[in-house]
Amino acid sequence: MSTDSTDGTDGPVTEEITVTVNGEPVTAAVEPRLKLSDFLRYECDLNGVRVGCEHGVCGACTVQQDGRTVKSCLSYAVQADGAEIETVEGLDDDGSLHPIQEAFHETHALQCGFCTSGFVMATKELLEENPDPTREEIETGLADNICRCTGYQNIYEAVEHAAEKMEE
Amino acid sequence: MSRSQPTEVGDDADAESESFTGQGLPRVEDHRILTGKAEFIHDITPDNCLHMALVRSMHAHAEIESIETSEAKAHPDCELVLTAEDLKAEYNPMPTGIESVETEDGEADLFEWSLADEKARFVGEPVVAIVASNRYAAEDIADLVTVEYNSIDAVADGMAAREDDVVVHEHAGTNVVDHERIEFGDPSGAFDDADTVVEGDYSWGRISGVPLETAGVVARYDEDGDSFDIDCNIQLHTLVDNMIYETLGYGEDDVRVNVPADVGGSYGTKIGIHRYCCLAAMASQQLEQPVKFEEDRIENLQGGDMHCSDREYEMRMAVDDDGTIRGLEVWFVDDFGAYPRYPVNQVLKPLSVVTNSYDIEDVTYEYDLVLTNKTSQTAYRGFGVDPHIYALEMVVDKAAREIGMDPTEFRRRNMIQPEQMPYTLPSKNIYDSGDYPATLDRIQEIIDDERDGGLLDPEVVEAKREEGKYRGVQPSVIIEPGVSGSDWTDRQRSDRDALEDRDRDDVEELPEHLRATLEDDGTVTASLATDSSGQGHQTLVSQLLADELEILPSDIEVDYLDSIDAPTEYGSAASRMAVMLSGATVGLAEKFVANAKAVAADHWGVSGEDISYRDGALERIDTGDSLSLADLAAIDDADRRLTQVSYNYDHPATEFEEFDEAFSRKFPVYPTAAFGANAPIVEVDVETGEVDILTFHTVRDCGTMLNPMIVEGQAHGGIAQGIGASLLEEFGYEDDGQPQAITLFDYLLPSIENVPEIQMEHTETPSPYTETGAKGVGEGGMIDAPASIATSINAALEPLGIDEPADQIPVAPDHIRKNVRDLE
Repeated sequence: MSTDSTDGTDGPVTEEITVTVNGEPVTAAVEPRLKLSDFLRYECDLNGVRVGCEHGVCGACTVQQDGRTVKSCLSYAVQADGAEIETVEGLDDDGSLHPIQEAFHETHALQCGFCTSGFVMATKELLEENPDPTREEIETGLADNICRCTGYQNIYEAVEHAAEKMEE
Repeated sequence: MSRSQPTEVGDDADAESESFTGQGLPRVEDHRILTGKAEFIHDITPDNCLHMALVRSMHAHAEIESIETSEAKAHPDCELVLTAEDLKAEYNPMPTGIESVETEDGEADLFEWSLADEKARFVGEPVVAIVASNRYAAEDIADLVTVEYNSIDAVADGMAAREDDVVVHEHAGTNVVDHERIEFGDPSGAFDDADTVVEGDYSWGRISGVPLETAGVVARYDEDGDSFDIDCNIQLHTLVDNMIYETLGYGEDDVRVNVPADVGGSYGTKIGIHRYCCLAAMASQQLEQPVKFEEDRIENLQGGDMHCSDREYEMRMAVDDDGTIRGLEVWFVDDFGAYPRYPVNQVLKPLSVVTNSYDIEDVTYEYDLVLTNKTSQTAYRGFGVDPHIYALEMVVDKAAREIGMDPTEFRRRNMIQPEQMPYTLPSKNIYDSGDYPATLDRIQEIIDDERDGGLLDPEVVEAKREEGKYRGVQPSVIIEPGVSGSDWTDRQRSDRDALEDRDRDDVEELPEHLRATLEDDGTVTASLATDSSGQGHQTLVSQLLADELEILPSDIEVDYLDSIDAPTEYGSAASRMAVMLSGATVGLAEKFVANAKAVAADHWGVSGEDISYRDGALERIDTGDSLSLADLAAIDDADRRLTQVSYNYDHPATEFEEFDEAFSRKFPVYPTAAFGANAPIVEVDVETGEVDILTFHTVRDCGTMLNPMIVEGQAHGGIAQGIGASLLEEFGYEDDGQPQAITLFDYLLPSIENVPEIQMEHTETPSPYTETGAKGVGEGGMIDAPASIATSINAALEPLGIDEPADQIPVAPDHIRKNVRDLE
């Protein structure tokens, strides 16, 4: 990380960071206070990162940082300098859906869809760690994400269906 | 018993099946959402766009002494500062649900300016708008504004507000801005004559839908055309756009309100976001640049004009010793917050189901609508019916206990019978169809199964009680009124005496518009005059229209019309769309086929009668020649465009004379009555006061199911919101009007850990009033789950001798504990 001090100008102090986002390196000069969620949405045009509460409760902004899920509204872009970030946009393969995305579609596990990116990313981590979770393990794995539309019934179905697909 | 299972079918619909309608087709909306490509309002940022932030009042009730903005204006990134003074010079106050009240000195207007004028009336009320180059800078600059307040006494309790010790709008002289008492039948006769009168007081805490996506707007003023383009996530953009154009002082054709295809939930709440649209539009006009506003979550919870019903009920029920309900008296206060916004008619919608599933002829319905120093109410799923059903089922329970009858038997004895269908309520709405006793019997069978080796097995129940955990359940049959569509919504702005003999022809009806365009490649584009927020309207219309046009759903694209292009005024609310869109689709397709035949007849030089339409193609009967829809598109004269058709579907109740009295007297008309019975098996821990719902059984009927997968999704979601309402959620206030829940750490949305397995069964009793037999189904779970959970908690704690532990919603642990302590 290098600091680009802008003494003598009116602009804010920025720092240059390089983040690998969905496999591609992105270098940008950012204000230290820029949230990772806003960096991904506005600097990287990854609108699949949804912002629902900006205080770490709803989970809509969940992404993977170095293989672990993080709530991107709770960290700053500068903290991701040098890290690998994966968002929901990184999952599909040239237009064909990832098995988790397919499973959410087939089981009607989304309605308005605002929480969906976060649930898909949380499901990805859950199934990477535990390819055949019980209902209780699904509950624990997804307890940090809020869905206001589905009542979660079909989200259980989706996770189980995705687990089957990924086993194949 | 069948568990709730999504229907498993592939994306390419099962063409072998007779129809697409009725199948659980996966949704066409999903792909763009799942890949992150859906464009929600917060994703729209035009070039050159500026960003708005708001300075909001920290006081519940305060005179604004001065506003110091010079430091803010001096900030290098500041583009604009707006106060009420600026607004008053050029614009209008926002329209309200109750425009004025009568005082001794004449009419007192209940103005609401988009920024607080002279007085702030709730915590979070916007006082100053700041526009800057980005959102971070705008918030920095907002901090540089200094507002001096003179804080005055506030009132934050609906019952206390009736005393008028503190008056929120001083010049009005009172906080009670609307009141009505309506008698149906002979309630005083029934109460005088009955063996017993039972009374109960019930409280419904302030809750709301709290969609995960907050409000947002991008406004662009066009100087050349002197007009506005406003992208926003408002709900009912064709109906409530007047809130925006009247405030701006423009005509409706000068303000184009456009809602993205994807809105991150609304559940009624986003009907009330017009303040933000107005402010962004004004700023955009001042700056001649696009202006964007993204509400943050704290703004949304604290002062986002998005709370809903906040009621205190006093219920009375007249009962005979043999278990006959003789009469019902409903009295309540609804605390609407600081301004009586559009959904004031939420206090009237319960009239559409005033006696729920019970046959009661003599009813009094009375309410006071009061203003307090809280953020204003908007609509929420159920639209005021949910608290009514809760209070009614509570007093039904109480009446059964007081006369010593089993509460389920008491309900059965008073239930509307299938042979009474269609059943006219005392309040003149009509229940279309259904066998309520059979539904009660079925849910009772399910409960009996749980008692036989299941969660309610007597041995298990007894063992759990030893641990201080009390299990119970109490079902009832609950009605969901569906498909509103007439001018009863402005009853409170009408001369009510004049309504007694109003002419039926004077009723303003609200049809639904649908449009279809044949594209060059032979596919069809349908255009909706509504907005959507997760209900799957695009999927539904492609299914319905595919059947009518005998083509594949994948050959149909569905898009949306903005407020200027849409000729009709309603849209997605009041559990309307399945019924309205299915009716509209049938009419639209008939017109489309007739026009297609006319084009083909002209082409072949024959009469339309010599042509048949089948499987998306036209055939000349005598020669067997055929034209595909793509051929037809090539032939159709660009000047005539016969293959672009539109249709306005009239509200279904308008065809039936039996609704005329309700229509003309402006009583709520909801011609479909979906219904269901719930059995949430609750377990109450008397040590902690916590309520655990072990499983949630439900038996539901919404008539013909057009897409069973979507129907079940709506029920799941509604029930989850009902669980949140009954156990977790509340916008509490201190006595001085300071809100207690301004983050999602305080306002508790149900997580996956709070929602139990929902075990759902369906029956299908078609509606005789609708085109497909479908009934409205968007709100049921939110209407019926809280009442069922409350009565089940009462049942669970009955062995302890606690009288009505669930007499307030939410039934929070501290309330249960207080009841237990009082017992000790």
